[in-house]
Amino acid sequence: MLPTDRFPLITERGHRLLRRLEEHLHAPRFTHRGYNRLTAEGLRRARAFAEELKITPPTWRHGEVPDWLAGFVERCFREVPIYRRLGPPGALSAVEGFFDLPTTDRSDLNREPWAFLPDSQSLDGLIVYNTSGTTGHPLDILTHPDTLGLYVPLLQAALATHNITLEGGPERVAVALVCFQKRTYTYATVSALLDQGGFVKVNLSPDEWRDPGDRARFLNDLQPEIYTGDPISFAELAKLPLAAQPKALVSTAMTLTPAWRESLEARFGCPVIDLYSMNEAGPIAVGSDFRNLENFGSLSGYTLLQPRLYVEILNEDGSACAPGERGEVTLSGGFNPFLPLLRYRTGDFATLEFRGGLGRHLGRHAGLPLLVGLEGRSPVVFRARDGQPVNNVDVSIALRALPISQFNLHQFADGSLRLGLRGTAGQHEARRALLDLFGPEQLLTIAALESDDKVVQYTADLPKEAIEQNGK
Amino acid sequence: MNTEGPLLETLTRRLAECPADFLAEPRLGRAGAVHVAAVVADLIRDLGGEPLTQQQVAAFQSSNARLDRNRLRLVLVTCWLLRDSWFTNRQQFSKRALNFLVDGLTESAKLTPAPNFVNDPDRREELSRLCLSALGLRPAGETLAQAQDRLSTLDTAERQRVMTAARAAEERAREIRRKMAEEAAREAEMKTMRE
Repeated sequence: MLPTDRFPLITERGHRLLRRLEEHLHAPRFTHRGYNRLTAEGLRRARAFAEELKITPPTWRHGEVPDWLAGFVERCFREVPIYRRLGPPGALSAVEGFFDLPTTDRSDLNREPWAFLPDSQSLDGLIVYNTSGTTGHPLDILTHPDTLGLYVPLLQAALATHNITLEGGPERVAVALVCFQKRTYTYATVSALLDQGGFVKVNLSPDEWRDPGDRARFLNDLQPEIYTGDPISFAELAKLPLAAQPKALVSTAMTLTPAWRESLEARFGCPVIDLYSMNEAGPIAVGSDFRNLENFGSLSGYTLLQPRLYVEILNEDGSACAPGERGEVTLSGGFNPFLPLLRYRTGDFATLEFRGGLGRHLGRHAGLPLLVGLEGRSPVVFRARDGQPVNNVDVSIALRALPISQFNLHQFADGSLRLGLRGTAGQHEARRALLDLFGPEQLLTIAALESDDKVVQYTADLPKEAIEQNGK
Repeated sequence: MNTEGPLLETLTRRLAECPADFLAEPRLGRAGAVHVAAVVADLIRDLGGEPLTQQQVAAFQSSNARLDRNRLRLVLVTCWLLRDSWFTNRQQFSKRALNFLVDGLTESAKLTPAPNFVNDPDRREELSRLCLSALGLRPAGETLAQAQDRLSTLDTAERQRVMTAARAAEERAREIRRKMAEEAAREAEMKTMRE
């Protein structure tokens, strides 16, 4: 009996693999049963999208907008409440009018995620994905199984820039997503997009396994094609006696320093690829290896992935930065029909370079825009009262359910904590949640965040134990 | 409204022919194309008025797009309307025009996107009548009662339209929130931790 309620497109062979993963002798205690509700139409769309990614790289010149954008903007103003409220764009050409449009940001999405849905968008199959928000704005991202299905071709396109093919197939695990947190949801699934290949999400925290040694046993038996995770989880993965060499490690969500990348590449014998991705827009750009090409000093360049995602770099006042000038990464377009983005400020900073020569070298169109010197969200490891490390993701999870629109947590050199909160709601609950995490003796002060500026969510004065050291 | 002004049709036609420059994005902070205060200052001069004071200039400067974008766009459209030779030839409307531009458009801007006052015949008529009323005029050939009645009818109809649209938008938002809550409950059930 196939579990088609959880996996509409599962086959017998896919089911065999799913059972193997869920009932594996060395499997972790999966926190819940996986599911993948991709529809046949979603599978068709994802395949078409995969073709589009191969033949339509995102290209434009500074100060220009791509052809598809004018129609997209027009639809936003006609159909999407949050944009319609602004009134229609000016009567100048799409290009000039576009650059004068007001920007949006996480606070808009945090306040009223429903206002981003086009009037004509059906609500059938709606999924709500809650995220703690790495900038301190908890978000409800509205999406759909068929939209989530587009992540696979984007991941494959990112790997393809490093000449790596994610094959999938019914007898193997394509992706192991590794976390290293106190608690997170873990599960096993199979996907029609990976030809019934497997996907597991595991938590490397030893408490989540029947035996800490099972972590390596399980992963060695699975031999996933690639691992995805973040610099902190890879530090833990590096400690395990893994026998098989993956095709790649794909790092997301936090800053991956060049030194740590090289150290991981030496440890695992494969490329370590940095993927710039966010919940609101999915995978945006992939770190490119320019070490043997024209380089940008010590900075990494990121190749944009999505054909219908326009990227601008803006100053604080909304004006455009010149090519090579540092500013906030701002997005328009995207592939989520529940969340059309229009000049959406990401809170991340970079420069945009237009490297014709480099583009040609990479076999891409001249005028290829590259994000350079991307300043993502740095991982911060706090210290609990008993000296144990506390990953910033654990803090996000501990505070996720609280009515806090924005916060900053800072740990001073003496170990004491200061929590800055926007507004007065949730102070009591936040204190309790943090003392649960850090220990009842933890010194903690709570203060109001004063300005409307974007806050850096996690900061610490503790002697910097480089993340690299955690893996040794 | 005791004095006869121009024919209404000359004003509505002028609005229909509003050039793209007056529909461009107003300058807000460093974004946007048109310095609205400069356009207003030119108009007031052409109507026979004095240069604007700093305080008057400030009414047409903002960096808050959410709050002021539509109001400033409507100011630009209204400047185009008031630039009609019927007004400039008389050299007597500068004070009332300036007061109208500073204070008289806020309510309309909250209700209606500025381009509608160019594209929609009813809104063209409404803005033309509002302008005349603010200058103490009524359309040529109309009695005072007719002019007041027509302006009030247009205003009521627009408010009705806006309220209906707002109700529909709120209904849709409610439906989405209900679906989100259903989905969150289903998800919570599926993610119940195994003991």
